[in-house]
Parts: sequence; structure tokens; C-alpha cells
Amino acid sequence: MEQIRVEKTASRGIAVEKIYLYLEPDLTPDTASITEDQVQAEIDKFAASKAAVIAELNKLAEQNEIFAAHLEIADDFMLQDGVEGRIKNDKKNVQQAVSETIDEFAMIFASMDDEYMKERAADVRDIGKRLLAGVKGVKLPDLGGITEPVVVMARDMYPSDTVKINPSLVKGIITEEGGVTSHVSIIAKSLGIPTLVGVKGILSKVEDGEFICMDASEGVIVVKPDEATEKEYLAKKEAYEQERIRLEGLRNTPAVTKEGKRIYLCANVGNVQDIRNALPMNIDGVGLFRSEFLYMQNTHFPTEEEQFAVYKEAAELASQELTIRTLDIGGDKELSYYEFEKEENPFLGWRAIRISLDMKDMFKEQLRAILRASAFGHVRIMFPMIISMDELIEAKAVVEECKKELDERGQVYDKDIEMGMMIETPASVLLADEFAKEADFFSIGTNDLTQYILVVDRGNKKIAKKYNYFSPAVLKAIGSVIEAGHREGIKVGMCGEMAGDQKAVETLLELGLDEFSMSAGSIDYVREQILNRK
Amino acid sequence: MVSQKVTISNPTGIHARPAATLAKTAAPFKSNVILVVGEKRLQAKSVLNLMSAAIKCGTEITVECDGEDEAEALKTVIDAIESGLGE
Repeated sequence: MEQIRVEKTASRGIAVEKIYLYLEPDLTPDTASITEDQVQAEIDKFAASKAAVIAELNKLAEQNEIFAAHLEIADDFMLQDGVEGRIKNDKKNVQQAVSETIDEFAMIFASMDDEYMKERAADVRDIGKRLLAGVKGVKLPDLGGITEPVVVMARDMYPSDTVKINPSLVKGIITEEGGVTSHVSIIAKSLGIPTLVGVKGILSKVEDGEFICMDASEGVIVVKPDEATEKEYLAKKEAYEQERIRLEGLRNTPAVTKEGKRIYLCANVGNVQDIRNALPMNIDGVGLFRSEFLYMQNTHFPTEEEQFAVYKEAAELASQELTIRTLDIGGDKELSYYEFEKEENPFLGWRAIRISLDMKDMFKEQLRAILRASAFGHVRIMFPMIISMDELIEAKAVVEECKKELDERGQVYDKDIEMGMMIETPASVLLADEFAKEADFFSIGTNDLTQYILVVDRGNKKIAKKYNYFSPAVLKAIGSVIEAGHREGIKVGMCGEMAGDQKAVETLLELGLDEFSMSAGSIDYVREQILNRK
Repeated sequence: MVSQKVTISNPTGIHARPAATLAKTAAPFKSNVILVVGEKRLQAKSVLNLMSAAIKCGTEITVECDGEDEAEALKTVIDAIESGLGE
């Protein structure tokens, strides 16, 4: 028996199940050379494998559009030429030829500066794996063939793997590679499967079919558990599920404090799927829609139409309130298709509203899309990183321009759309009284506010302990902002990590916060804190 | 062989989607279609080849077409690039 601690949780929960080792078969290519009269046979083998792979990808593409891109690559003539050239000219056997050609392309992509292109290397390898299995005549393991409850353990998982996961049988996932924001983590979270990633060396310690215990909430794995440990984890699992059921039972109780104040519990989301995942928690709306993901997970600045389609769907889903934050890029967030100048201090640099006001046409594409979506729900516009009244007035003026353009086109929107701002700079705290007269609402972004008020870079390990939103200066700032907002009768919310921290609930309620917006996973816990406050 | 210079105008450069559009545009022609970018010579009919060059917006490139339908191929490819490759 051995206990392994894992630092970060990808998706919470507990599992005690048999291990399903999801390891690739040996795809080492045969190194034998071939003779001239074998050339055609090798080329035919490749053609057959390619046809089979394309047929398979065609099927997968119906379920998931990622595979449409894979299809294009599998059918690429340079790939074909690379393989045939190695067979004809270098007299390599087909396995070697496929392997080398794939390596060549994957390495080109992996060496590129651009993150988006780097990820394409994984796509190319995924296709290469299929082609190589085809020419070797071996079957790849198939997650779709699982018939009993298991914990899947793998080196890493690709989109073509995760699409086959059946959440009623896959009770847990453990991988050696990957981070908490990797593909498998995101999918596991959306399916509610307990998952730990980046567990180096775990695969050499386990065998297929033996039992394993994992507590993904605490970050503990027990390999080869004895009977007592197994029982202990089954009890933990039972308790965890009971707790889940208890918390879920509170979902229909409105979050009203003992003083009788109704608190709004909202979700922070990055896309429409996040809203769908948050709806079962009975949310009061979306307090932060991070529009930057539309820009980051794209190959170009998204057009008005593209954004409108997303915001409209979001507005219909989050019908009570959808707060869309305009583009917040720069700082640590970059775009693959736009070259930012390197800055000495990116967090003090060209970011968020500063970019939007400089690139006005781009800003207007977004604002028109938001305005048009406001015809389909209760939509609010939120500006990030405001430091002066001039900026807020200028941003609001651009919205007015966009309204006029929509009027000319005869398109409908909410004429009284609320326009608020993030409070995340010391300047906005100091000017909160003035801002409260001009903004329709405030939302405190504690992540940046803490860093800017305390002048602590939380990425720096040496001073990470100083990064603390319970620090008196930060609490004083939060309190004064809430008071300033209330003096002018506007709602004050919070959308930083602090809003989802159970330990902060009491303090924030005392300071008078009206709306808590957080990632969906924290909502049940914060609601419980509010309801059970003594 | 015929050739013509053109400047990449779509804001994102030749990324995944424009690369696919360009490859599809060039594919039906019998002629060999090459993009000359600096010292690199790229096969316009290959998505992989185009993507791997990550051509940025504002880059001047030369399109070379060689084959029986070269004139028509050149015109079609240049038109496609100038119109922003579907973006």
C-alpha cells in the first residue's frame, strides 16, 4: 500500500474502483528496409490505413467538430507525399515512413512560438497514432468498450479519447501528464468525474484490474489499498455523496441572510457550456461572462455576428442577469493571432479597457454584439480596469455610438442597458464615490485588486504568502467601495476568487456585499454558509 | 511559370481556417502552386505546410503557378488571398 499526494485537483470527488489502464499498444515502427519490388505493397498498406482512418474520423466528426480539422490533416497531400517519398526513395517500410513523416510535422508545430499552433502538434500525433496502428495491424484501446465501473489511468488523454468517456462507468480519471486547465481536466469537470492530473510516475506503480482509492477533493491516491483503507474510502465516498445531496437540497432555498437580506448568487463563466453547467445550482444569473475566451480560443478577432450568436444564447440561458465583461486581454492573457509588444510590466501595461479604447473598431464589434443580445435577456455591460472618469465616460460614449448604428440598421436592443465597471484598480477604489454616480453597478475583482493594492505579484513564490485578500488594506478598500455604491443606490457585487471562498462569506456579508459571483463549483458551499450563519 | 506578389491582409494571418480555405482554393488546379515567403517555399495545396509557416498579417508573399492552367490558378489564388480567405 502506498499513499500519494497530488497538489492540484482537476475535478472533485472520491472513487474506489478497479483500474482500467489506458495505455497505447506498442507502436514502435519496424525498422527493416524494403526492396524495390515491395514498394507498391507498402504504399497500398498506407492507402488502406488512411482510408480506414478517414472513415473513422468522418464518424467522429459528426459528434465533435474538432475532428473536422483532423480529417483535413489526415487527407493532406504533403503527408501522403512524405510517406510515399520515404517508401519509394529511401526504401523505408511503411511503419517507419509514417512515423518519420508524423514526427517531422509534429516537431514543426511544437517548435512554433504560437500556443495555438503548438497544440496542433497533439492533433498531428493523434492522427499519426491512428495511421500507425492501421499499418501495423494493431487495435488501439477503446474507452467506448468499457463495460464495468472503473478508474481510467493514462499517460495523457486526447480529445479523441475523452469523447468516448461514458460517465456512468468511468468513475475516476488519473493521468501522468496534463495540468488542471488541460483538455481532460475541462471535460472531466463538465462530466463531474473525480480527476487528478499531472501525477508523475503513477503508472509504474499500478496494474490493470487492481483496486485503487482516490480522493480528488483532498488530492490523495492510495495504490494497492488494504481492506481497511478500501472500507475507509468507501465510507468517505458515501459521506461525500451525502454531503453533495444535502447541499443540493439547499438549492431551492433563496439565499436570505438572518437579517433578511436577499443575496444574489451568480456564476463566473467563460462560455455557454459553463452556464449550462451552472444552471442546476439555481443561480441568480451570470455575474461575470469572461468574453476574452471568445478571443483567445479563436484564430481571429471574433466578428460581431460570431459574438452575437454566443451572447444571444448566453442571454437566453442566464435569463435573470448576464453581465458581459468587455475584452480583458493583455497582462498574462495573450492572443495567438495578434502580436503584443513585449512589456516590462504587463500588469501595468496595455491591457483591458486601454486596448478596447485604442482599437475602437474592434471594441465596437463587441459592443454591438452585446447590445443586440440584450434583446434576448437581461444583459449588462461591464468595463474592466477603469482608472479614471474620462475612461468610463469615453467607454459609455462608444456604447451610445453603437446604439445609433443599430438604430440606423433597425436592429433592436435594450435601450436602458445597464453599464457598470469592475473595481480592480486602486484608482477606482479612491474614486468610487464619483464612479458610483456614473456607473449602474460595481463588481469588485479581488484577484487584480489584491495584487495592485498590496503590490504583490502572486506568481512570485517568495512573496506569495503576502498575497492575501484578508489583508486590512484590501478589506478596507472593499468596504469603502460597497459604501460608496450604496450611497448612490447601486448594486455592488464581487467576481474575484474571494467571492467563492467560504471563509470570506461572513466578512463580505458584514461589509454589505449584494452579489457573489464565483465558479459554479463553489456556489453550493457559499449558499450553505449564508443560510447557516449564526 | 507565372507569379505575382500579394500582401496577406486578413488580420489573423494564415492561421488554421484561412490555410484550409487557401488549400481548397488551390487544390482543383493541375498546376503546381507555391507561396514564396522569405526563403521558404510552401505548397499552397497543403494545409499542414501552410499552417506550419504561420504567415502573419502584412507579410508580402509571391504566388508562383506552374502548369497548364497556371494563369487561371494564379488569378484565383491571388483573388482568394486579396479577399481575405473567407474571413
